[in-house]
Amino acid sequence: MADLPVWWANVATVVLFVLLAALVMLIPKATVIGDAPDRRWFRDLRWWALLLIAIQLCIYAIFT
Amino acid sequence: MTGTSGTLHKKSRSLLLHPLDLTIIVAYMITIVVVGLVLSRKVHDAHDFFLAGRSLTWWIIGLSIIGTNVSAEGYVGAAGGAYKNGIAQANFEWIGAIPAMILASLVFIPLYWRSGVYSIPEYLGLRYNQTVRVTAALIASVFSVFTIGVALWAIALTLETYLNWPIWAGILVTGTVVGLYSTAGGLRAVAFTDALQVVIMFAGGVFIGWLGISKAGGLDAFATALTTDHPDHLSAYLASDHGEFPWPGVLLGLGIVLSPAYWCGGQAILQRTLGARSQWDASASMIFAAFAKTFVPLLIVFPGLLALVMMADIEYPDMALPWVIKNVLPPGLSGLMFIAIIAALQSSIDSGINSTSLMVTRDIRRVIFKNANPDSDLKVGRWTTVVVLLGGMLFAPFIGELGGIYFLVQTLLSLFQGPMLALLVLGAFSRHPTANAGLITLLSGVAVAACLMWYGLNMLYVAFGTFCYSVVLLWCASYFTARSDQDLSKLVFRYG
Repeated sequence: MADLPVWWANVATVVLFVLLAALVMLIPKATVIGDAPDRRWFRDLRWWALLLIAIQLCIYAIFT
Repeated sequence: MTGTSGTLHKKSRSLLLHPLDLTIIVAYMITIVVVGLVLSRKVHDAHDFFLAGRSLTWWIIGLSIIGTNVSAEGYVGAAGGAYKNGIAQANFEWIGAIPAMILASLVFIPLYWRSGVYSIPEYLGLRYNQTVRVTAALIASVFSVFTIGVALWAIALTLETYLNWPIWAGILVTGTVVGLYSTAGGLRAVAFTDALQVVIMFAGGVFIGWLGISKAGGLDAFATALTTDHPDHLSAYLASDHGEFPWPGVLLGLGIVLSPAYWCGGQAILQRTLGARSQWDASASMIFAAFAKTFVPLLIVFPGLLALVMMADIEYPDMALPWVIKNVLPPGLSGLMFIAIIAALQSSIDSGINSTSLMVTRDIRRVIFKNANPDSDLKVGRWTTVVVLLGGMLFAPFIGELGGIYFLVQTLLSLFQGPMLALLVLGAFSRHPTANAGLITLLSGVAVAACLMWYGLNMLYVAFGTFCYSVVLLWCASYFTARSDQDLSKLVFRYG
């Protein structure tokens, strides 16, 4: 693995995060909200997970 | 996961503190002990001691997770790593943490919560069998004592560096302070003191960033110096033939194996989520911690870049943070930053002794001694906390003589994290793996990892290789081993 270009790493990272985002959205809302005290939008942790993934994509786009 | 590049070097002995700093440090120590002792009034049984009576809210747990995660090498070593390797050091906080934290929050924590377990070995015991439970608990407990010893030694070295204390005194005082609040207050005291410690860590980091950028001539001057003079320090990944952190190893070993094993299966990290007041609080705490984790590089990587831009006159990369504290912060704030380092270490020790005490008390004692009285769990748990701490304190003084012991511990950890993750992932997502296949995989996976390491393979590749081996073996061996009639409905994740 000595000659692999570094930019491959950034591409692989983007692919990894996109796959993770797809996996997150496959998880049923009911499983994520669970026993939360109400059903308001911010209790759906999948949206917060997607925001985290978006931040990571920005970070790895900046530091290439 | 955090960086692994060492600790403070004794050459910084001249960094003695101002009396104002010393006052702040003493006040902090007293506050931590008092908070712990006050919270101990709420401990009535083992459920309170180990799981805080399942009363913790998401933000307390989230802060406590970060406190447990950021440790000696995280604070001091990461600044040194950033000085040497640049922003790539932050991979331990980003690709080496965030994906696994999301998986832990949305998949594994709901699973552990539904199964009603106290620990991850207990989950493995339910999913596979009691032999797997005891084996996993034994391995995790032994390595926990090692890491507690390393953290105690790192604190003692920091106290020697800044206050000129003998090593033995640093170990004794730290052990006493941590032991007092952890033994008395259990998980609740550990979580609340961790949260306080993380607030101090972030406050120290903000002051360093603010004052450091001012001293470097402002944000524009800092950014220009970094991009012009050190462009190689702004790449997220290092070359594929890099000795320490080749990018394929970082992605495959750290991102896909070591990080998920730590965040989805680490008892010290996950125990506080099992002490949440609801499943939603448990999951939300990990997402909150992931947001905080995204910004942790500002605390632990930035000082290294600052030392680089300010052309610090240091002999070793690990001197970057002490240099910044000495040259950037005024009296009072130096004490705060010193506390931040101590706090990072203390929060790792208290979480380690509490989780190890739980595994010894319930996962090892209760299984081996089947007649053990559950009512005595609190008493046994407290005594085990003391014994584990004493074990770490006895081990700590020898670490300096053994040289790269921390690297050794990290390397040894990578021996079993591949097989352990395979058991967790396949066990959580499929009903196919059987109990005996799980035990065979766990034991043979460690042996395969030892062989790969014997051939001198980078530990990141060892972790990935043994994970792949364990997944294949667990799946195939499950076709040839007996299947139990156990109800797995609460132990296996369902998409529908």
